[in-house]
This record gives sequence, structure tokens and C-alpha cells, in this order.
Amino acid sequence: MELQEKLKILSDAAKYDVSCSSSGSNRKNTPGGLGSASEAGICHSWTEDGRCVSLLKILFSNECVYDCVYCHNKRSNAIPRATFTPREVVELTLNFYKRNYIEGLFLSSGVVNNPDHTMEQLLEVVKRLREEKFNGYIHLKGIPGADPKLIHAAGNYVDRMSINIELPSEKSLLSLAPQKKKESILLPMASIKEEISVYKAEKKISRFTPSFLPAGQTTQMIIGASPESDLNILNLSEGLYNRFSMKRVYYSAYIPANDNSLLPSIQTKPPLLREHRLYQGDWLLRFYGFTAKELLNPANPNFDLDLDPKCFWAIENLQHFPVEINKASYEELLRIPGVGVRSAWKIIKARRVGSLDYQDLKKIGVVLKRAKYFITCKGKYYGGISLYPENIRKQLIQKPKDHQRQLSIFDLYSESILRKEAPSKVMGEL
Amino acid sequence: MLILTYDGTFEGLLTVVYECYYQKLQPQDIQVEGEKEKDFVSRYVFIDTEDEKADKVYRSIEEKISSQALKNCYYAFLSDDETRSISLYHYIRLGFKQGKAIDSFLTQEAVANLHGIMQKVVRERHRMLGLTRFVELEDGSLYGKIQPKYNILSLIAPHFAERLGSERWMIHDEGRNLLVIGTEGKWLLRDYTMKEALKVHKREAFFQSLWKEFHQSIAIKDRKNLKLQGQLMPKRYWHNLTEMQGSPPRDGEK
Repeated sequence: MELQEKLKILSDAAKYDVSCSSSGSNRKNTPGGLGSASEAGICHSWTEDGRCVSLLKILFSNECVYDCVYCHNKRSNAIPRATFTPREVVELTLNFYKRNYIEGLFLSSGVVNNPDHTMEQLLEVVKRLREEKFNGYIHLKGIPGADPKLIHAAGNYVDRMSINIELPSEKSLLSLAPQKKKESILLPMASIKEEISVYKAEKKISRFTPSFLPAGQTTQMIIGASPESDLNILNLSEGLYNRFSMKRVYYSAYIPANDNSLLPSIQTKPPLLREHRLYQGDWLLRFYGFTAKELLNPANPNFDLDLDPKCFWAIENLQHFPVEINKASYEELLRIPGVGVRSAWKIIKARRVGSLDYQDLKKIGVVLKRAKYFITCKGKYYGGISLYPENIRKQLIQKPKDHQRQLSIFDLYSESILRKEAPSKVMGEL
Repeated sequence: MLILTYDGTFEGLLTVVYECYYQKLQPQDIQVEGEKEKDFVSRYVFIDTEDEKADKVYRSIEEKISSQALKNCYYAFLSDDETRSISLYHYIRLGFKQGKAIDSFLTQEAVANLHGIMQKVVRERHRMLGLTRFVELEDGSLYGKIQPKYNILSLIAPHFAERLGSERWMIHDEGRNLLVIGTEGKWLLRDYTMKEALKVHKREAFFQSLWKEFHQSIAIKDRKNLKLQGQLMPKRYWHNLTEMQGSPPRDGEK
């Protein structure tokens, strides 16, 4: 088969993996080598769906022996199949990289023969790339069920590894992906976490310690293929962040690929707004000091599609407001709807040289559309309405046409075009 | 009304700042000589660039304000904003008064203006790190053509110098007739106008078509959002992007 045909099949097969970030690693070039990583990540192009292209995202093979119900590449689907050779992937990566098409490689694969065999092939590719002195970014999938030794060996060559959870509960996993076991996903995650902390400790003693996943590990969940609530999902994410030091959990709105009674009908539209709300909630966990149980509870197990999660929380917790801009701590500022990490920083910075009134906030570029209902400046309230939940809710609900705009997945895919500014964490998703 | 003009170099602008201090001038505006049409009512004075004076200002910004402030100034200078020179002057004036805290005075016009101008340059610099495309020439060297809004060529050069290692590479800012040539971690900037068409390597077309193929097939059709694509990757960059050549017209297809 021609290389172009293979590339077509195996990039098409990889497109539902949403992660494409190239951030978190600061790998340097070596003498005679090609490539380096950029801490904040770099987007190289954007496709027609508005998603950023940062890495050459491909499957090594889509000749999968599994038959997961939700998956486009499942064995029983009649689709074109292909498998690269390691040489081909290396050539593609080096040549794309040289032309500055990409930041590096994102390599995943269907399960060919068995998990160990597949993982060996992936290992072979990344090993060869580094032997060719390629120092660009590599994100590699760990194949659930593969020998931990293979996964660890690969970890020495690549910047980031991810093992996808795909379905947010054991029950859904059992019904939709019966060949994958919960343990085969969680065990390698735990051992990767362990290995990273060993590496970090050794690195402190000797700087010659071979690197191990400098950009950490991530995972992905499909949203809407199974019945879990946002609360289930966010709780799971919180657990993953806390227990496995996950760098990111990605959420992927389910796009019906197969007709099956266990799945939503093939006509179902992908729940993009829900996906967006989950990302907002996820951001609140990672950068805004919220916990999952503050945001959702059994009485309210799903995010409000009309209000962003922080607004929703604020309206339910009006006892914390209004907040005085000139006195609030950084953590308190972050809890004000409409105030993001960058605005909070600006407020803190500008406060050092003088107290701020309402006009000053405008001048330094804080967006007040939502924030004005929740703050005072030098003791004065500018919201113009009394602080009752129903009042504020009415003001904040977006007009229906705004929903279109909300669907913009800007928060997700533009991370790295936003400037690197303290704390670069949020923009660069370290 | 006094308007000072200079030769358009960073040293020139720093010399203007020097003269403002030592001759106690209070310019209404500072312009690059010949960039704007002169009006009848203003008094124009051209300031000759003097490296020594520029150097003095350069060092005192770094020492008395901060190296961040110096960087801000240089980035703002690379903008094409007509107010960049006078904004830089006001920023430096306030800087000498406030010292290293200058960048906290976000509510001051002088600071807000300069930051605004500078940030656009920062953003385009970052964008061009991703949006520069190289073609492989017959001799194996890499050639990239860009037409950025701001003069960011010298800002992206170090990135490619590190990354491309022992490759021989060039980036050509076509609008400004500038060229960076680099290899082995070093680079140099010079004036350049292309005289004859470049000879492209015979395998170039092959990799270009692979890249276009990839760019098409990695998109999810059910999530098609051309408006978002255009926001994140403005159309003014498209004509230098390999993957956007030969794609069907998109206007009117909303």
C-alpha cells in the first residue's frame, strides 16, 4: 500500500483522540540532533473543525483485535485497514518536523495480535526516532494490558504517555469494552506515577538520570456514550489528578460511530456544550482551587448548560459575595465569576501600587460583564441589582444565540497560542 | 508642536530618548522619518542616531528599570503601530520615575499603551513559531517564507537556531526584504531580495501532499467549525501555509 493511503487511513483512525498538546516538556536539542520541545507548547495549524494541530497524530495500526462497541476501529467494522512500518513513521516524523509542520509525534495504535506485541512495535518506533537524534516532542499511548516493562522502557524515550480510560465507570467498561479491564488501565497509570516520582528523586541526586516522561501522563474519557453524570465524571477526574498526578484529563464528546442498542442512536449530535462545561469544571479543579463536591452534588449532578460552572457555584453560594477587590486574596479573586487567572494576577499586581476603583478594573482589562455582580471596589457595589440568586441568574443567562459561541472550543485548543505569562501553567497546561 | 523623527532603528529611538532628557525636549510625537506625511503646523526635528547615546539609554533602562522593561520596549519597537515610538518614550519616562515596579502600574496610560502594543508582537511571534513552513531545496537546505504583520523575524530566529541544529535554514520576511540564515545554532539577519526562483528538492512535493492529506483526514467532520478555524489561524497567513493551498474556496459556505 502507498504511504499516502496508509497515512490517510491511520490519521483518520486517530482523529477521535482529542489530546494534541505539545506542552510540559523542555527537552533540549543535542549536538547533531534535530528538534527541541517548547514548555508552553506550539500549535502549527488548525483544521476545519477548529482544532489545533500540534503533533503528527496517527495510529501505528488500525488492525485491532478488540471489538469495543463504541469504537470506530473495532474489529467487526468494515473499514480500510493499514499498518505502518517503524521506518515509515520515523521518516514521516522527521520530514514533517524539518518543514515545521509539527511539534512532534502522537503515536497510538489499535491492538495488533495482543497488547505486548503492539507495545513492542510502538517502543521500536520511539527508540529509532531517538537513535536518529530526534529531540522533538513525543506523546505515546500506553496499551492497556501490555507488560509494564515495555511501558517503562518506552517512558525513557518519550515526553508524555497516556492510557485512555475511555468509559467513566467499570460498568460501562464492561458493557461497551469487555476486552478491557479496569485493572489493565489503572495499574499501569499507578506504576507510571510511581516511576515518575522515582525519576524525580533520582534526578535530584544525579543530573545524568535518564529522563522519564518529563511531561507526565494524561488520559481521555468519552462523554455521552454511557449514562454517567457530570458528577461521576468530575469525581473520577479529581481522583485521577490526586492519585495519579495526572497532567490532564481530556473529554471527548461521543460522535456516534456505530449502530448498537447499547449506544445512543446514530443520529445523536455530539454533546459539545456538555463537553465544554466539563472542561470548565476541570479547569476549576486544577487552577481555581475548587473541589468536585463544591461544584456538583447528588441533587445537582449535572452542569447547567445555561450557566458556566463558576457562575452556577457563585449563585448557589452568595454568602461569599460581594468580594472587595482591594482586599480579597488571590484565591478569593479566582472564585469571582468572570475573573480568570490572568485577571486575578493583574489585580494583585496593580493593587501593589495603589487601590483600584471600578474604572481602574476596566483599564487593566478585567472583563466585568459577569464580575460586576459579585464585587465591590473601595466598598461600592456596581452591579445595579440586589444580590438575590434569581436576580443574578436572570442577568447572567446567556441569550440563546450565545450558545453557538459557547461551542467554540477555544479554551481547549488555543492554550498554547495564549501567551506564556505567569502563571504559565494555565495557558500551557503543565 | 514639536515632533521628533529618527531613522527607524532601535538605536535611533533610544537616541531620541537621550536627547529628550539632555536637551529637555517635550515632543508631542515621535515618528520614523518618512513614515508619515508631515503637517504644516508642527515643528519637525530629525535626531541623528548616535550609538554611544543609545547605548547609555539601553543600559540605564536595564539597570534603573528592569531587563523586562527593556524587553518590553524592544518588542513594542518591532510593532507597526504608529504610536509605538511615543508610547515607548512615555513608558521609559515613567519607568525612570518608578523603577522596577513600572510594570505594576497597569492603570497608567503609559504602561497600558506600551503593554498593549508589546503583547500583540509577543502573540504574533508565538504564532509564527508554528506557522512558519519550510520547503527543502535542491541542496538540502530549508527555506521558509513569511509575511508577518510585525517585524518578528529576529525574535523567532533563536528558536529555529536551537531546534534545527545542523540543518542549513533560511527564513525570508518577504514584505520587509529581510532574511535570516542559520546553521549549527547560529544565525544572522540581513537584507535580501529574491532574484531568481529557488530550486526545490525533488521529494518536496511528496511530503507536501502527505501533509495536506494528513491535515484533511485528521479533522472531525461532525465538528466542522470554519469560523473557529479562521479565528485561531487568521486568513492573512494562509497563503504561506502549505496545507491551505489548493483547498476549495470557503467563502459563502457558512
